[in-house]
Amino acid sequence: MTGDGASVDRLRREAELATRQLIESWEEINLLYSIGEILGRTVTLSDAAATILREICDTVSAGLGAIYVHDDARGVLHAVAALGAAGEVPPIAVDDDESLVARTFRERHPVIADDATPGAAREAGVRRGAMLAVPVLWTTPQGGVPLGVVTLSAPKARAQFNAGDQKLVAAIASQIGTAIQIDRLVKTSVAQERLAHEMQMAHDLQMRLLPAPSSLAPDAECAARVEPAEHVGGDFYQLFKLGQGRVGVLIGDVSSHGYQAALIMALTMSAMAIHAQAHADPGEALAALRASLADELRETEMYLSICYVVVDPAHGTLRYANAGHPHAFVVRRDGAAERLAATDAPLGLGSNAPAVAQVPWTRGADLLVLFTDGISDARDDAGRVLGEAKVLEVVRARRADAPSRVVDGVFALLEGHMGGGVPADDQAIVVLRS
Amino acid sequence: MTFTLTQSGDVSIVEVEGQLIVSNRQELKQKVLDALEKGARKVLVDFGRTSYIDSSGLGVLVSLAKKMRELGGDLRLANLNDDLQTLFELTKLDTLFQISESRERALESF
Repeated sequence: MTGDGASVDRLRREAELATRQLIESWEEINLLYSIGEILGRTVTLSDAAATILREICDTVSAGLGAIYVHDDARGVLHAVAALGAAGEVPPIAVDDDESLVARTFRERHPVIADDATPGAAREAGVRRGAMLAVPVLWTTPQGGVPLGVVTLSAPKARAQFNAGDQKLVAAIASQIGTAIQIDRLVKTSVAQERLAHEMQMAHDLQMRLLPAPSSLAPDAECAARVEPAEHVGGDFYQLFKLGQGRVGVLIGDVSSHGYQAALIMALTMSAMAIHAQAHADPGEALAALRASLADELRETEMYLSICYVVVDPAHGTLRYANAGHPHAFVVRRDGAAERLAATDAPLGLGSNAPAVAQVPWTRGADLLVLFTDGISDARDDAGRVLGEAKVLEVVRARRADAPSRVVDGVFALLEGHMGGGVPADDQAIVVLRS
Repeated sequence: MTFTLTQSGDVSIVEVEGQLIVSNRQELKQKVLDALEKGARKVLVDFGRTSYIDSSGLGVLVSLAKKMRELGGDLRLANLNDDLQTLFELTKLDTLFQISESRERALESF
């Protein structure tokens, strides 16, 4: 035989071997291909799991099969698909010592059990004779995360599963892992979208509770702005026309932010709408408010700083009751800023009826400025606090301007200080001239 | 931001290092509640190394003070820096707490 003839023979043998291997693997290749197709088409995990399981059972010739998925919250493995099982397949506790399914999940290692290997009663519905259990893993850069288990049982025309079956199912299990993970991501994404939508609605609703500053016209010229740190927050203001040119202005800051704070805010605003009209005296109005909120504040362990001011330009007076609100000022025509100091501790903390204080008020000249600590305590990149003095500087510089210009100036200062950073606390300001 | 608990006689002292804010207030609360559980009835919060307290931090102090009073105990504060002292004055919270200028003074006051 010539050298050429030997080469041809060798090549022919290799080709035959490759063809044989291809034929032997055909079913497996076909199965992997089908599963790729299924994952591309199906949306729900249970649909994908049921179809994949049917394909596996056909290929490996198993009469029974199940795909279990780990439920972290309940510490169980529950079946998302079962083939050939009689009745409902019960969930299996991850720490079940007798269960082959639980053991496979815990040890992250396949188990080939023969007819004599004991198992748990809870998996009897998916087992008849020999059983092959393979962990479903999701591979991350940190390693494999166990997501569930695939089981096959009742092998047809033979007594036992073999290493080849195990290898094939292990390859498919990683595909199932992808399906489980996609399902989880889709569910999380849908839930997040819904939550974001609800949060936006809550934000819009809360903003609608705040009155339009123009509602005080023509008695007063007013501007206000509230920026919650989260979608909803606990800073708010309220404005009341009290007759004979008098106006009531309230600023409040609930001791946290988020939904709970927003609920206290809504409760406060509805109670205050009644008390402001019923009590001409700001101290009496806050005392009534305190009584309305007492139970709620005690139960929630929250408190609120609140400053309620009644401006009476005709009589040249400003009367106020201030329950622990630190940033309340009258800025005079000459730029002097006079603090409307707290007359009592915040509502929910102190127990006295808030005392009332009075300062003179000059029509058309004085400026009432109320803001919350989210403004004065705003931090820059380096963690430095803006400070009350800088806020007052801007107010002083613009004290002859329209209130809306004062509010714009304060927020421009804030934005410059925070450099686009996310505020840690709600921010609110009300400016009024009357 | 850490809370260190030490004992001086029958007074449990919690030192707040850094800030007492919304993100760590529960840790302080738990620390004091654990001390209460073990029988502590005199608690001193030392703010000598504290730069800032936000409104939720104040809320926790008040809620702990209330809890201690219900149990026949007392929560006192010491070592507030000028800014924090001003914060307590502006919010009238200085009327609700016994505040000492130093840890030693506070310990003597119990």
